[in-house]
Amino acid sequence: MIAVALRQQSIGSVLAACWAIFVRDARIALSYQLNFWLQWVTVLFSVGLSYFLGRLISPSAAFGVGGHQESYFDYVAINIAFLRFQQTALQSFALAIRESQMAGTLEATLVTPVKLSVIVLSAGLWAFFNTALQTGSYLLLAIPFGLDLHRADVVTVLVFLVLTVLCIAPLGVVAASAVIMFKQIGPFEFFITGLSNVVGGVYFPVAMLPLPLAIAAWLLPITHALNGLRGGLQGASLAQVSSDALWLTLASAILLPVSLAFFAAAVKRAKLDGTLGQY
Amino acid sequence: MISTSQSIIEIRSVSKSFPLSYDIATWLRYVGRVPRRQALRDITLDVRAGELLALLGPNGAGKTTLLKLLATLSIPDTGSIRINGIDAAQHQLEVRAMIGLCPSEERSFYYRLTARQNLEFFGALAGLRRTTLRRRIQEATQSVNLDGVLDRRYDSFSSGVRQRLALARALLADPVILLLDEPTRAVDPLQALSIRKFIQEELVKRQGKTVILATNLLEEAWQLADRIAVIHDGSIGAIGPPQTLHESGAGIAVYEIVFDRPDPDLEVRLREIARFGTYDISAVNGTLTARVSVEASPAALTDLMRAISGAGSVRGFRPINPEPAHVFGQVIERVRKASS
Repeated sequence: MIAVALRQQSIGSVLAACWAIFVRDARIALSYQLNFWLQWVTVLFSVGLSYFLGRLISPSAAFGVGGHQESYFDYVAINIAFLRFQQTALQSFALAIRESQMAGTLEATLVTPVKLSVIVLSAGLWAFFNTALQTGSYLLLAIPFGLDLHRADVVTVLVFLVLTVLCIAPLGVVAASAVIMFKQIGPFEFFITGLSNVVGGVYFPVAMLPLPLAIAAWLLPITHALNGLRGGLQGASLAQVSSDALWLTLASAILLPVSLAFFAAAVKRAKLDGTLGQY
Repeated sequence: MISTSQSIIEIRSVSKSFPLSYDIATWLRYVGRVPRRQALRDITLDVRAGELLALLGPNGAGKTTLLKLLATLSIPDTGSIRINGIDAAQHQLEVRAMIGLCPSEERSFYYRLTARQNLEFFGALAGLRRTTLRRRIQEATQSVNLDGVLDRRYDSFSSGVRQRLALARALLADPVILLLDEPTRAVDPLQALSIRKFIQEELVKRQGKTVILATNLLEEAWQLADRIAVIHDGSIGAIGPPQTLHESGAGIAVYEIVFDRPDPDLEVRLREIARFGTYDISAVNGTLTARVSVEASPAALTDLMRAISGAGSVRGFRPINPEPAHVFGQVIERVRKASS
């Protein structure tokens, strides 16, 4: 009877588990009040940094979409705002699992009748919500400094936001798998972040890169994510950035199940070796 | 509804080992085939529905490992575990829905959340919703006398409160099977008594739950358990009801013999008798009382009778239940001898 009930586990049960994990993480984050508010102060500093950098560099067509001339402030402010999503996607899952190991709650969570995929993917919900709030605030704060968002195509932006999260989150889940195995947050996400900063088009357009690096850039999700997001904020329709959308969709479709299989394999290995409760 | 006569837990030939070392240097040295330490050896065990089975053993015997296997937090190297007929390796979610685990480890809650927030989280993951969740939190915490501290943060709790909160969490989803790992480890003697009474009277007798209790406290096992499984070095050395464990498990019978008249040669004779086992003597009001432990067999009893027949006038002779510590020691000794 229990087995039947579980097989019929409704979407409601999954959502309830996701909500419980979200609320847990929100409560814990808000219990560290100084850290929480300092994150918002950092948002303010980031806008200022982008603004003063933008004043050093002249507007150029290289910063715009479709040959449209843009200011460097517009270019870099948007990129830095959405780079936060990549960092969140890369770090949040691994950090959540690491914190569970340290607190000793990982086993207590894994003994509940909730699927592994729900547990690991929900572990990033609060972080994504917080990042979305901070990114929105960052962009709003940037408007008085001269960021031009009046042409933004909301549909394109939202589609690319979802695709960015779906495409980069699997890398974070792989990082979380490494935490289950090695009990340390590895260099994986720092490597990806570093690579993205250099060749992902965050601080300068990919078109400026030599061919080998341009190819590497094309392989990175952040390149397509930023291209689409920036395009959407500068008024590009979904059709105009469809190649980036397609790349992100295909990559998500492959990476998400692969990363979840990775995580399941890591948990199974830990169960075999008796290291699930270790930290 | 589960009949109390059927096995709700079936463990068949389960063995479990762990790598001797987890560091990368060892891994490289053995090219990935790191030697393993045997934690459980060929365990076969049935637990009936509504039974309280105590896993009794010294630290490191394999009790927690066995509980973790049952809770699907670990995977056996060989063998199978079926919970209520469901294979634990193949259908982990279904098995987890039937189990409430109370770990001995204090680190299993979120320190910065209150007791209520912790229970809300784990209860929601266990599938409880809104009104039911609130009601179950109230019931579970009341049952372990915790309702007054629900809105205090976990990091402000004493070890005893933390232990009782772990028990409340295990009860939240009203599981049919409870796995309790040293539930009175960190509590004071009065609280321990209260928890033991709650486990025996409320959980087992009134609610009919199946309880597996891992403990290294002899009196706890003897007081609570329907059956005791003595575990040593990963093997079950003996299993049976506490009243008969000395015969079925330790293979000993203990007799109390009262001698009316002191006999100068008595001690020599008792030493002779005790070639079968052990003895001790106490003198009370001019009589000598000897408690003799011998092998539980008709032949040993005959030998004992023959040996005492000339040792003075025997006023009384009766079989008695030996002290738990004696039984436990004998079982451990037997397992040691068998494994060496």
